[in-house]
Amino acid sequence: MIALEVHDVTVSYNRKPVLWDIDLSLPEGVMAAIIGPNGAGKSTLLKSIMGLLPLSSGYVRLFGQPLEAVRGRIAYVPQRESVDWDFPASVQDVVMMGRYGKLGVFRRPGAADRAIVTQSLEQVGMGAFAKRQISQLSGGQQQRVFLARALAQKADFYILDEPFAGVDAATEQAIVSVLHEMRAAGKTVVAVHHDLQTAGTYFDWVMLLNLHLAAYGPAAEVLTPENLQKTYGGRLTMLAQVGEQLHKQAFPLREQ
Amino acid sequence: MEQDLQTTLLDLLLFRQANVVWVIGATALLSISAGLVGCFAFLRKSTLAADAIAHAVLPGVCLAFMIGGTKNPVVLLIGAFVTGWLSIMVVSWLKANTKLKEDTAIAVVLSVFFGFGILLMTHIQQSGNAAQSGLDKFLFGKAAALIGVDVYVFGSLAVALILMVLLLMKEFTLLSFDRQYAQSLGMPVVLYEIILSSMTVLAVVVGIQAVGVVLMAAMLITPAAAARYWTHSLPVMLVLAATFGLVSGAGGAMVSYLAPGLPTGPCMVLLITLIAILSILFAPRRGVIAEFRLQRRHQIRILRENILKAFYQLAETDGRFDTPRSLQTLLDRRSFSGKPLDKMLRQMVADKLLSPAAGSSDLGWILTPEGTNQGRRIVRLHRLWELYLTTELNLAPDHVHDDAETVEHILTPELEARLEQLLNFPDLDPHGEAIPKRG
Repeated sequence: MIALEVHDVTVSYNRKPVLWDIDLSLPEGVMAAIIGPNGAGKSTLLKSIMGLLPLSSGYVRLFGQPLEAVRGRIAYVPQRESVDWDFPASVQDVVMMGRYGKLGVFRRPGAADRAIVTQSLEQVGMGAFAKRQISQLSGGQQQRVFLARALAQKADFYILDEPFAGVDAATEQAIVSVLHEMRAAGKTVVAVHHDLQTAGTYFDWVMLLNLHLAAYGPAAEVLTPENLQKTYGGRLTMLAQVGEQLHKQAFPLREQ
Repeated sequence: MEQDLQTTLLDLLLFRQANVVWVIGATALLSISAGLVGCFAFLRKSTLAADAIAHAVLPGVCLAFMIGGTKNPVVLLIGAFVTGWLSIMVVSWLKANTKLKEDTAIAVVLSVFFGFGILLMTHIQQSGNAAQSGLDKFLFGKAAALIGVDVYVFGSLAVALILMVLLLMKEFTLLSFDRQYAQSLGMPVVLYEIILSSMTVLAVVVGIQAVGVVLMAAMLITPAAAARYWTHSLPVMLVLAATFGLVSGAGGAMVSYLAPGLPTGPCMVLLITLIAILSILFAPRRGVIAEFRLQRRHQIRILRENILKAFYQLAETDGRFDTPRSLQTLLDRRSFSGKPLDKMLRQMVADKLLSPAAGSSDLGWILTPEGTNQGRRIVRLHRLWELYLTTELNLAPDHVHDDAETVEHILTPELEARLEQLLNFPDLDPHGEAIPKRG
């Protein structure tokens, strides 16, 4: 069963394409890393999958269906820095947000939701911090809270944007083991990852991205010196230069 | 005259006139609704936009009056709502389709709409329309001018806004904290943004008669800003903002009765500003004074620990812990500034950390057993940290002293134990000096 299919997706910001013609499909139950240099479009790819950005072309299917039809099965973990942590809320308030999608308007969370929140917090080792104000958390704790919020969604597919950015080693290990538990339970995971050293051990699939998809597949096959050279080497500046040209001339990306 | 004032005051305090009760009640309600809606504008960091809306409803009020020829509140409300919303749309259009940044777009829209409103108002006043008397109150507000149908219209609108905030609190909270995530859950974020913006416009609109268009921005934003100082909990923040709004709203309305010459809006704004200033100053932890006192406590602690350390090191040099050390000896060891030092030495004698030599501090002081303990701990932490920096972080031994001067004051017993273990219970610091054992 295919968990994710990205078909000929191009995405642009301000008329500047940041992803070119991405084609990929991911089987269910794998743990996949998106790897690439800064500015390669890794977060953009995740946001496009989650429908947070308009696609210039192409489409995305999850479990063979458009996002809207399967949204309840997908959980998204945005970058930690994308929110202001000086917000008046406690850790359990934030994790409870993971239940809002299932709750619907006007409904208040019940005992079952609270139990799920507690369980999710314990799963990431933050059980003792439920009442803590989020402004007092360290970076690693913030990341765990975001992961717990996604776990509270009880989804089948987890999409994580830089879950290891700026966290301590203990948190990284804790997050990896939670993700491995989920894979063991048959869930699918896609995460933006930065560290080539650990990519092969943490993840079983890898997508190498630099404005286009340089390679993807099982980690052992993809993480070759040749592929890495293709992704990180200077060859791709052609795409960047053409994108810059489209942006500068305010040129339409697709003729119409 | 004095008699009059007294009667009015008594009327107010005893709620003797039904009319007064209604007006103050309506003003209180609209201030509460503004305070609640304002919390979300504040948390979404769109307070500038709220200010623009508050200015942009003026031309709508004037146009509605010119077209409808009446001061009927419903007609004026519709006019205000239309131009308020128009200003939001112009700002987002400018942001999306021009190179202008949001703050510039807001500044432009604010002044253009308000200028146009003033132009229309001047025109109405010069046209000598009989019904226009009172329209100028919309600039600075006059609660006492709320009559009959106004009270019902504005009051019930305020109640509706309060109910909306309570009903959609969950959604508004998520939208304010993490919009992207809300969208990923499938929440119709654009719809909620439209609802929230409409509520902001309405919160301004309900205040046009009592508070005035421009000053309504303050009644939206200031209660939230003040409330944030006192709490980290959103429900508490909402309650506080509503209360602050209520107090300043009802207070301003009363002033407007007592002194009919004074406009209501500015009185309310002065009251809420006073509350905000008090919050900024006196709030626990977040307040300026709490912050200042925390820093002062740190300074006192640093001074006390440095004195203990100096006494300990003096005793260390000749191994004599029972010899009194004079002020001059202390100052030769380390420079302290005079006045705080004198005060601290007296305090430390009182705290039984130091005892004056043979009953007189003129001859100097010696460390008490407790003082020795504490002094030893600081010296120990200093040298442990220096050793940590040289061995674990590979810093040069002559570069580690300044760091240790700070870190010695903040290491907790737990960190101390971990450090000791990490360094394998060392005997000497990088300068070859003995690291004293725990007392």
